[in-house]
Amino acid sequence: MIPEPLMRYLVWPTVKFLVAFVIVQVVVAAMTYIERRVLAFMQARLGPNRVGPWGLFQAIADPVKLMLKEDIVPANAEKVGYFLGPMLPLIPAFVVFCLIPFGPPPTFVVTHVNVGLLLILALTSTGVYGIILGGWASNNKFSLMGGLRSAAQMVSYEVPFGLSIVGVLMLTGSFDLVRIVRYQESHAWNVLPQLVGCFIFLVAMTAENNRAPFDLPEAESELVAGFHTEYSGMKFAFYFLAEYAAMLVNSCLMVSLFFGGWSLGGVIMGRQVGLTTVNLQHLGLLGGVIGATIFLVKVMLFMVAYIWFRGTFPRFRFDQFMDLGLKWMIPLSLVNIVVTGILILAGAGTRYPAMGEVVLTLFGIVVIAAVILFLMKGPKPKARPAGVAHARRVSEV
Amino acid sequence: MVELAVFFVFAAVAVIFALVVILHRNPVVSALSLVASFFALAVMYVLLEAPFLAALQVIVYAGAIMVLFLFVIMLLNLQHQREETTRPIQQALGYVFSAAFGIGLIFYLIKYAWIRAEQTTPFNSDARAIGIRLFEAYVFPFEMVSILLLAAIVGALLLSQRTDLRGRPTTGVDHPSGQNPEGAAASPRTGQPSFDAGQPSPAAASRRADPHHEGAK
Repeated sequence: MIPEPLMRYLVWPTVKFLVAFVIVQVVVAAMTYIERRVLAFMQARLGPNRVGPWGLFQAIADPVKLMLKEDIVPANAEKVGYFLGPMLPLIPAFVVFCLIPFGPPPTFVVTHVNVGLLLILALTSTGVYGIILGGWASNNKFSLMGGLRSAAQMVSYEVPFGLSIVGVLMLTGSFDLVRIVRYQESHAWNVLPQLVGCFIFLVAMTAENNRAPFDLPEAESELVAGFHTEYSGMKFAFYFLAEYAAMLVNSCLMVSLFFGGWSLGGVIMGRQVGLTTVNLQHLGLLGGVIGATIFLVKVMLFMVAYIWFRGTFPRFRFDQFMDLGLKWMIPLSLVNIVVTGILILAGAGTRYPAMGEVVLTLFGIVVIAAVILFLMKGPKPKARPAGVAHARRVSEV
Repeated sequence: MVELAVFFVFAAVAVIFALVVILHRNPVVSALSLVASFFALAVMYVLLEAPFLAALQVIVYAGAIMVLFLFVIMLLNLQHQREETTRPIQQALGYVFSAAFGIGLIFYLIKYAWIRAEQTTPFNSDARAIGIRLFEAYVFPFEMVSILLLAAIVGALLLSQRTDLRGRPTTGVDHPSGQNPEGAAASPRTGQPSFDAGQPSPAAASRRADPHHEGAK
């Protein structure tokens, strides 16, 4: 018999880690297929449809191709950094999955840490080291530029990413994702009172993952392939895997924080209506599976939203992108925190504690409407910059 | 028992990587070793039952500050740099003071390390307790640090500020190339030739003159 401490500190963590590892692998493999098909659908193409029925086996063919490819190491690369680079972002991406509650406790909550959300933030913020290290160790100007851009991007979008969550923390009063989900059952999905926070989180998580339209570290029109220019075969696949795992983590966070997690229903007038945590727990293991399925469906909706962004928005220019983060997102998230705090305090004293949340919802709608109106008006027409005028003069001669 | 084993493993990791930070030639390796050392330190916080502090340690130091450090090191490309000692007196003084500091540290460690720590009341380190401490008991140091950081930001802005040909500050952002080729004639805000300033820019003038060229040909 294995002694208890060994089970507790070594065996169970390993088992849980392996389960998370397998789940991520499967979802990533599915995502490569889904991404190509959805993107093709948006661009009025067919996409991969040759390997198996509807091209489904493409999800297997792609990894096999990557594994069989020759692994080229540049002669002047910094060897240790070059090998460590693709591995470092994988570790936090997989560990984080042990902290996310996929379904109602106790079955589908792997580890229950009372600062779970903070630990997830801490671990995801270290994923950038692999990208920086790989970009630097490749000994290639384009790789280095990609790595540097990634560092600047991560650091500046880490702030609105964290600040957008603060509103949720103030409403729920906990770092524990299980408690945050249960809070949303007894009130409303946090997306309503935290509409602004949710919007900032959506933008910041896309930027954190280097996904289009914020994929500046790998902008192929400027940097060849950015930080992974020199990577081929399985090492490239590791970067790919880490990126998709990070996307999955952020989608899970989005669903847990703003969209009610595994629950589909709520507590109305003290009665459990729909698939709430208590009702799911009554169903036992079946309830756990139902809850996890609801969670996965919600998560996949956000994964498809990532692809939707990629198919819709053109890439930002780097300075525009930094302006957006530092001059718009951070102030907006700070305003959101202040307004949330004021309205929570104002609502707590009155006979209608929900009033603060209702006003917060209205505030969110007003801000989002203002942003949309501002965007629809479009930028002021600028005269052509002097450099471009010169180019035109040459062409006219 | 397990806690003790975990402590010694991660204490060793922290010390070894801290030594690599100061002994390794390559600044990038030093910076990454410091990150590893921070992680080991975060494990210490977890062992002290302060997971909130552990998470903050990783978010702030490993997640934000060291990324910026690495960013600057790679931007300056400081690899394999050896500095010749040009200031022997300062170097000698440095050795003397660090030796004195080391001896003092060892003295106090020997003096106090063997005293058994008394069992105190449970140490409360959740976000609420730390927030209340920070904004009640330690509000003055907290505000002083924020002023210090503000001063650092202003200083960085001042040092990195670009000026145009007349010495006026520009943001250097609005124009794609960073600086304005027609410096004086264009307004720094939009990079737009100022037609209303009385003196049209050369490019704009030639653009207007082009039809005449065509006619002349």
